[in-house]
Amino acid sequence: MELLVNLIINGLATGMLIFLLAAGLTLIFGLMDVLNFAHGGLFVWGAYAGIFTYMLTESFIVGIIGAIVTGALLGLLTEKFIITPVYGNHIQQILITLGLMLVLQELIKVVFGPNGVAVKTPSYLAGSWEIGDVIIIKYRLFIIVIGFVIFGIFQYMLKRTKIGLIVRAGVQDKEMAQALGIHIKRVFLYVFMVGAALAALSGMLMAPYSGVIYAEMGMEYAILGFIVVVIGGMGSFSGSLLAAILVGLAGSFMAYYVPVLSLAVNMILMAIVLIFRPQGLFAMRKERTS
Amino acid sequence: MNNKISLRAFAFILLLIIFIILPFVNDSRTLLILLTQIFIFGILAMSYDILLGYTGIVSFGHAMFFGIGAYTTAVMLKQMDHTLLIFVLSIVIGMVLAGFISFLVGLLTLRLKSHFFAMLTLAFSGLFLVLAEKWRSVTYGNDGFTFRAPDLFRDRMTFYFFVLASLVVIFLALYRFVNSPTGRILIAVRENEQRTKSLGFNTLHYKVIASVVAGIVASFAGSLYAVSLRFVNTSVMAMDITLDALLMTIIGGVGTLVGPLLGSAVIEYAQHALSGLARDYPIFERWIIFFGILYILAVIFFPKGIIGSLRLLFWKWRGRLKQRKTTGPLPQEKERFE
Repeated sequence: MELLVNLIINGLATGMLIFLLAAGLTLIFGLMDVLNFAHGGLFVWGAYAGIFTYMLTESFIVGIIGAIVTGALLGLLTEKFIITPVYGNHIQQILITLGLMLVLQELIKVVFGPNGVAVKTPSYLAGSWEIGDVIIIKYRLFIIVIGFVIFGIFQYMLKRTKIGLIVRAGVQDKEMAQALGIHIKRVFLYVFMVGAALAALSGMLMAPYSGVIYAEMGMEYAILGFIVVVIGGMGSFSGSLLAAILVGLAGSFMAYYVPVLSLAVNMILMAIVLIFRPQGLFAMRKERTS
Repeated sequence: MNNKISLRAFAFILLLIIFIILPFVNDSRTLLILLTQIFIFGILAMSYDILLGYTGIVSFGHAMFFGIGAYTTAVMLKQMDHTLLIFVLSIVIGMVLAGFISFLVGLLTLRLKSHFFAMLTLAFSGLFLVLAEKWRSVTYGNDGFTFRAPDLFRDRMTFYFFVLASLVVIFLALYRFVNSPTGRILIAVRENEQRTKSLGFNTLHYKVIASVVAGIVASFAGSLYAVSLRFVNTSVMAMDITLDALLMTIIGGVGTLVGPLLGSAVIEYAQHALSGLARDYPIFERWIIFFGILYILAVIFFPKGIIGSLRLLFWKWRGRLKQRKTTGPLPQEKERFE
């Protein structure tokens, strides 16, 4: 019993972190038709910037804000200088964002040094609760709560507010939204910044969870993010939550029962989904065929 | 036109003669190793260009085939015997294996759109990397293993000539391939897949052919690479190899065969030079940054690469020359000439 609970909590926590990463990817893809291969770079920059702010100010909250601001700023620069010039050309987008990923990853090593940095959980989130014979690690619960809160906020924004209406209209039909007087380029920019900020937040929250941060973690988690986006369906926000939880749980159960397969299980999951249902499990219907 | 082709062939033969004579003139070991490395990665980059430049598909899994070749050769040379026969056999087996796997993977993935294809190839090559890392009894994981090269290749010079000859053969074969009817259809797929389909070609079929050819050639490059190092570890399967091939192809020029070769020379030489500089200026240890920035700029400003941009310039210049012959200097240039 306690094993089951622990595995589920582990899986959910990992799933939530991947969800935060994938949410930005899926929003950006849904709206702008851009697959951002540099998302992992934003993730790792969020982790480093956030942790260094946290170490300087000794306040975890300030660290989180630092990560989000860094992410949004990098998102702004990326959209302006990297995405805009190649807008509409898929192959160039894939190539250029991958190049940016490389640069961001190496810049981490220049700015913060090539070695990994050990991270401590803030004291009020460290430790665990014991309920009966089930041990629940506080920080994991914290991540799960944050994940659901953010999902709630975004779901509310997307479904109930005017901003969400504009974004959804843009996802459905860019040209029509533009024809109705919406400055779609600006919406692109804001959505990109929000997506980048989410990735940075995910990186920041990941840091105390994994205990150490290093430059290459960006690519590792970005691949998980891609997998989630593919399984959930490109552009589907709630799909990415479900897929992230699925991937998180699959990872944590496999790591316990069949450790050999734990790294491969996600790839296999994605390959199966792509081959049998290339639009993803929870994909929205879209009129455009291209 | 006839005259021009022979001119080009003449240039190639001249270049070839220079490379044949070079080791006798300057027998520096570093130069020889560097050139061998350039040729091997040139083969890899050419195979990548069949996908990226000729068929217009972005694969992030090319290291997988390179790794298959490298491991097949390394494992066979270590576990069986280090003779020339085994070496040749291992190349053939590696190529068959890579061809088979790229056929299967291609059949599964090539029907997908570019984004999905790129991601799925990334996932597949990730899977192979994990496999190589876990299958320690054969691959020794990340630590890798050393092995003895065939006696003939003990001499760096012999190996250099072998690689050079392979490069020439592969170059000519790929040149024939891209100029064959099949190659023409690949270019048609790149330009407009929908229209090619409407013309009655099964584009999936041709894309799979391209991926098999690219996989086989990449595996060959991998075999050579393993012998050149006499050591192999999981880094031959890593993303870096794919990125190198990508960088070389983009910087040299997509859609040409000479471009990737030039790109390979530029990148390998720059890596060599920058790692030398790193001793004095630590910033150059992070040479990937410079490549990354160069690469981003190339994608934005010179999407055709060095060769493509030069070719464009050449055509412009020729067009102007022709026009001048018939109608005199171009109107806007008249003032400059007066």
